[in-house]
Amino acid sequence: MTDDAVLNVEDLSVTLDGLPVLQNVSFTLQQGEAFAVIGPNGAGKTVLFRALLGLLPHTGLARWRPDVKIGYVPQRFSVDRSAPISALEFFLLQSPNFWRPSAAFTNQLDQELNLMGLHQSVLRKGLGELSGGETQRVLIASALLQKPSVLLLDEPTAAVDAGFEDTVYTLLHRVQTERGTALLLISHDLSVVYRYAQRVLCLNKSVVCQGPPVEALNPQALATLYGEASFYHHEH
Amino acid sequence: MQPPPHTSFWIALLVGIASGSVGPFILLRRMALVGDALSHVALPGIALALIYRFDPFYGVIAFLIAAAFLVFWLEGRSRVPPDAIVGLLFTASLAIGILMIPNSDVIESLFGAFPVLSLPLLLAILLTAAVLSALCFVLAKRFLFLIVSPDLARVHGLGRGYDLALLLIFAMIVALGIKLVGTLLMGALTIIPASIAKNLAQSMRRYVILSAIFGGAISVAGVWVAESFRFLPGPAIVLLGVGIFVVSLPFARRKTA
Repeated sequence: MTDDAVLNVEDLSVTLDGLPVLQNVSFTLQQGEAFAVIGPNGAGKTVLFRALLGLLPHTGLARWRPDVKIGYVPQRFSVDRSAPISALEFFLLQSPNFWRPSAAFTNQLDQELNLMGLHQSVLRKGLGELSGGETQRVLIASALLQKPSVLLLDEPTAAVDAGFEDTVYTLLHRVQTERGTALLLISHDLSVVYRYAQRVLCLNKSVVCQGPPVEALNPQALATLYGEASFYHHEH
Repeated sequence: MQPPPHTSFWIALLVGIASGSVGPFILLRRMALVGDALSHVALPGIALALIYRFDPFYGVIAFLIAAAFLVFWLEGRSRVPPDAIVGLLFTASLAIGILMIPNSDVIESLFGAFPVLSLPLLLAILLTAAVLSALCFVLAKRFLFLIVSPDLARVHGLGRGYDLALLLIFAMIVALGIKLVGTLLMGALTIIPASIAKNLAQSMRRYVILSAIFGGAISVAGVWVAESFRFLPGPAIVLLGVGIFVVSLPFARRKTA
């Protein structure tokens, strides 16, 4: 493991109910880089994340740098929309004091809201009232409260309205450049991968290709990944 | 033996508050029906106590804690809430309990009665109810975290121990209220205040506080109605609560509008 590596994965395999869902995945995540994981549905992308977070049993190595702080951004809330939980209370889950948050916590929350381009008024909204874009930015802002050295994002724009996807990625890019936070993200959008990721891992139960997007995402790799009738990247 | 004065009112107040405090978490975890069925498990405990002549309270608490562990174990084995298994097992225990309990005690076991307790047992019940209510408030953040995003909560180091803690707190609160409200209706007392408060509250903190207040108020008012009109306390409390729930429904629509 090199000094700049935040995460070192070697021969990671996951078996669920007797079926192999991930086989021999190896890669390294460097400090401050944006690293994308792509692949078709059922390729094991979310399984990979869950294994890295220690939520699923696995074989092989997933070694985080000892001082690493991991911020995890799930796709959505698991609670139904009628639940009376305000966005502020979602942030307070990270506060040492849920009932009476300290001024220091509130100040830090203001900073993260600013960075994510969210107005204070969002705090009073219920989790079920947030739009897709607001939900995603609230989830990211909440992960940032821990001052993470790496952010794990599972399809950060899956529930975001078309047109606002770029906003989310622009904000993530700001986090990466201003704070040196490494981004490990699952994406289904190849144009995003080309624009924002320094390196990409193509996954279909095992690693199909790996490297800088322009090199790794060649026609053969994409055909193997998505089938022959795949889409190609056009240089503009 | 002269029972302590206002026994039923004190139990109604403190156990009502405790029921209201735990209810929101049970409701948001979609465990309302499992929780309701859980209270039926108390019946064989009451039966054994009547047969072997010890205080039914101890039989109730032993059976309910065992049931809480069972639900916890079942939840861990499958990602789907094991409603059917819980429904079958707990209904079976209700049937077994009914067969074992002498006829003269059946109504009281199912629907509650004005309890006659020694002062030490009354104080123990009141103190436990107060401690369990306080625990719900102290652990609210962790319970809520596991409800809003279980994966995120686990990344933050919250393990399944908190799921078990919630079930045990719930089982103990049910046990405390069973003498007054009865095995069939006690589960409902944990659900009703939370359902009313959910219609009125805009935030989780208000939700838990409102639910606790409604729990205490409905139970005390129910006992007063029951004493005044010579009803059983259990049905009086539950019907009063359901009535208030119906009144609170228009507020829920306004909230989401």
